Amino acid sequence: MSSVDTLNIIQGDVKKRIDRWLARYPVDQKQSAVIPSLRIVQEVNGGHLTKEIMDQVAQYLEMTPISVYEVATFYSNFEHQPVGRHKICLCTNISCMLRGSDELLDYLKTKLDVDVGQVTEDGKFSIKKVECLGACVNAPMMQIDKTFYENLTEQRLDEILDSLE
Amino acid sequence: MIGFIKHQVKTFGLIELFKGLAVTGKYFFKKKITVRYPEEKTPLSPRFRGHHALRRYANGEERCIACKLCEAVCPANAITIEAEEREDGSRRTTRYDIDMFKCIYCGFCEEACPVDAVVETRVFEYEFHQRGENIMTKDKLLAFGDKHEAQIAADRAADAKYR
Amino acid sequence: MVKVEINGQVVEAREGDMLIDVADSASISIPRFCYHKKLSIAANCRMCLVDVEGAWKAVPACATPVTDGMKVNTRSPKAIAAQKAVMEFLLINHPLDCPICDQGGECELQDVAMDYGDDVSQYSEAKRIVGDRNVGSLIQTDMTRCIHCTRCVRFGQEIAGLKELGATGRSEWMEIGTYIEKSIDSELSGNMIDLCPVGALTNKPFRYKARSWELKAHPTVAPHDSIGSNIFVHTRNGEVMRVVPRENEAINETWIADRDRFSCEALHSADRLTQPKVKAEGHWSSMDWSLALQVTVEKLKPYLANPEQIAILLSPNSTLEEVYLVKKLANALGINNIEHRLRQQDFSADQYGINQTLAMRLADVEALDSVLVIGGHLRKDLPLLNNRLRKAQLNGCEVNVVNPSGLDYNLGIEHQVDTLSLVSELASILKAANELVDQDNQVELAAVTFNATHTAIANSLIKGKKSALMLGLIAQADVHYSKILQLASQLAQTTGSSFSDLPAFSNTVGANLILASNSADLTNWLANGKKVFINVGIEPEFDCLLADQALRAMQQAELVINLTAFDSVSQQNYADIMLPIAIFAENAGTLVNIQQDWQSFKLFASAKGEAKPAWKVLRVLGNMFDLEGFDYTNTAEVLAEIKALNLSIKQPDYQCNLDLSVITPTPSSLVPCYSVDGMVRRSPALQATPDAQLTNPLN
Repeated sequence: MSSVDTLNIIQGDVKKRIDRWLARYPVDQKQSAVIPSLRIVQEVNGGHLTKEIMDQVAQYLEMTPISVYEVATFYSNFEHQPVGRHKICLCTNISCMLRGSDELLDYLKTKLDVDVGQVTEDGKFSIKKVECLGACVNAPMMQIDKTFYENLTEQRLDEILDSLE
Repeated sequence: MIGFIKHQVKTFGLIELFKGLAVTGKYFFKKKITVRYPEEKTPLSPRFRGHHALRRYANGEERCIACKLCEAVCPANAITIEAEEREDGSRRTTRYDIDMFKCIYCGFCEEACPVDAVVETRVFEYEFHQRGENIMTKDKLLAFGDKHEAQIAADRAADAKYR
Repeated sequence: MVKVEINGQVVEAREGDMLIDVADSASISIPRFCYHKKLSIAANCRMCLVDVEGAWKAVPACATPVTDGMKVNTRSPKAIAAQKAVMEFLLINHPLDCPICDQGGECELQDVAMDYGDDVSQYSEAKRIVGDRNVGSLIQTDMTRCIHCTRCVRFGQEIAGLKELGATGRSEWMEIGTYIEKSIDSELSGNMIDLCPVGALTNKPFRYKARSWELKAHPTVAPHDSIGSNIFVHTRNGEVMRVVPRENEAINETWIADRDRFSCEALHSADRLTQPKVKAEGHWSSMDWSLALQVTVEKLKPYLANPEQIAILLSPNSTLEEVYLVKKLANALGINNIEHRLRQQDFSADQYGINQTLAMRLADVEALDSVLVIGGHLRKDLPLLNNRLRKAQLNGCEVNVVNPSGLDYNLGIEHQVDTLSLVSELASILKAANELVDQDNQVELAAVTFNATHTAIANSLIKGKKSALMLGLIAQADVHYSKILQLASQLAQTTGSSFSDLPAFSNTVGANLILASNSADLTNWLANGKKVFINVGIEPEFDCLLADQALRAMQQAELVINLTAFDSVSQQNYADIMLPIAIFAENAGTLVNIQQDWQSFKLFASAKGEAKPAWKVLRVLGNMFDLEGFDYTNTAEVLAEIKALNLSIKQPDYQCNLDLSVITPTPSSLVPCYSVDGMVRRSPALQATPDAQLTNPLN
């Protein structure tokens, strides 16, 4: 991860990416782009948002800071604490639960030696419990970064985690 | 004539007197129903409404939170409360006065209290010698509560199932 | 018009009105939390659910427009079941701490729970707890009590124009708050306290001081700005405890400024002067009124031979009666030097007349299309006028400003000119306007240049059907105030706009009415000094624009008599006699506001110590000087005498000198909004706000 200037995050490529979203909305409704903008700056910042970063988004989109905080705290895919390089989002809703997601979660916790919401010592993984991601058909499932992994077993978990950088 | 004689006999035969003495005599040997107050006392109900007290929690914290419901409910306007924020941020009274002359011992204050802070105790024997002593201040009421806490707590416990 | 049947009662309504408004107008009660007539509709509390015939489910009355023939039942089994269910939901997480809650006794949740709630709840699990953040010195938060009606959030967004509170998180974890540690800084923030239906936002200075049922409400008028906001003062045992707004659509709607709400703390300030004091040989001694007044008369008498050496400085917040009696007394004694416009230094336009009023009704401000504010920070100086202007702006009004830079506006500004030289910029705008309407320029404007912004502002005023020019405190404080008046009135004429020289203080209009004929040159008095100064209700060293000069003048004067509510070290230094006067709720009188409403109010709090209302002091002084006509027994008699004079304000025809060759920029004379008078300067809660910390002379 290259070092990011968190005090001036909206510049260069990031700015270009946000501007691409801004182009889709009327000029006087810049706030429409708040979710994609937050997603972009979160990604650039290594997976989580800080107050300073949200304030910059607010300023750039001409919103009050609190309006950005509202959005950023409402959606669960925005993180406010540091996460690992790979965020393991394990579904614990009913289909996955019936197919043993609770046991998988326990296994994950012991394997990585961290609790939900914590980051492993090497900074590689963090675990998050999430609500249904719509892949019940192949429960239990999880999402790491942008990929869905389905039909999970302890063995599959080992393989997947080992395959990640 | 006959009537006159009957009257004389009644008067000089002291019949009425003996009738009266018979009643006296009857009760002289019966079991006594009076008590020799103050050496003897009648039993009191746990609900007895006597002298007021302010209670504390076991850790020494005063119970009263200055909600002023007792002040509001008091039909005799006997209670005066002033409140302020205490240093720790909690709501407390800075003044809690009960005018014992105004009080009619109805017990509404006790009933209104959401934290069982103000109570009426079994103590009914008290007197004032000086003007102004009838105002029971917060300190006095708390001290009174401390002194009688064992009895107060026992009385509340005894009555708890009916409340 | 459509006909709606509510609970069997037929009610007429305009189509599109919300059901809850229609029911309210027919006095049919529908419980509500999130609905407020001055805020947008959120329909998120669901408390106002009612049964509408034909609708499958109960519908929220606040978000349901009426249609013809609609049959509504607010007490049908369906409606009652819905109300009870919502109440039960709302109470799931609401703590049962009413006994220690300041809202207890005036709580909408309590009332609605009593009327519409059930006795028992099915919920027996643990309630949630929400942490509190310190949001400043005015508002106390207890967010565990919050029921998420979002009235405060909408208020910030829609009325205050500054969204400081928001709803962060979601579902069970949703919290209303600032998210970060931050104070709520709006100058109208106190209104959130009234809006909050529960005890989540409460009055911080008033915290735990009294319960609502102990308080008596007295209608009165706010004494700080020329809006004349209607308020209720709540007293307990004759002591002022707090201030809340009194609804008056024509003046303050349902709002009041924080200044009006929180300044009442100053009544109990330790600085209050409680006894007449006289200085003899450098030592102050307290004495009773009769003696102190005797001393006053004796000390004053030697100077009366030459009354020109006496000047009276009067608070622009004095009541009409006080101003009148000051004038009557002064004139009877031959004194002509009376002034209340302490934040002004150029008086040369006085000869043409004075008209400091709003040229329209406050409500009409909302209908303006174009406004130019010259030298006025309305947001802080006249918050509720600014609120009306903000509404106009949201409706499409173009608001332009010519102001010193660095002012913080809470409404969209169309064109902005930042300057310390209002005159030059105004001249440019006038020239631009003249060019636009093909009017000849006067000789004085020949050398003036203008740019696109000036033209844009002039154009905005010209094309606006209802356009207005407003002069604020900064313009009035300008060295070239008369030139500004001249230019602005010309600009108004050229562009077909109305012209308002806005009065700033609560009785500026009234004082102008009475004192208009008095020749005054405050600048000169302060610069060259007077032998005697009589100050009524002011602290010259803080209330005068030329504060340093004022202080020096006081120090150099031979005799300074202060009728004042507050004692202070600097007064002790220069004054010779201090007479304690009653202020605010301790006084009775009349104030004339910005739109010339004469609002009288009664006395209902006992004055601190031996303080007396100033009108009584003046009356007795009149008696002691053996003057005729000082036998009033109440303020109504004084008022009747004033009314009999039939005073009126005429629009002056300015012929001021327009020489623009030597224009010196005036240093910014912005008065911090929490330093405007003795009362707000002594309100600890207001002084702890960021607005006050700018500069408070007392700190």
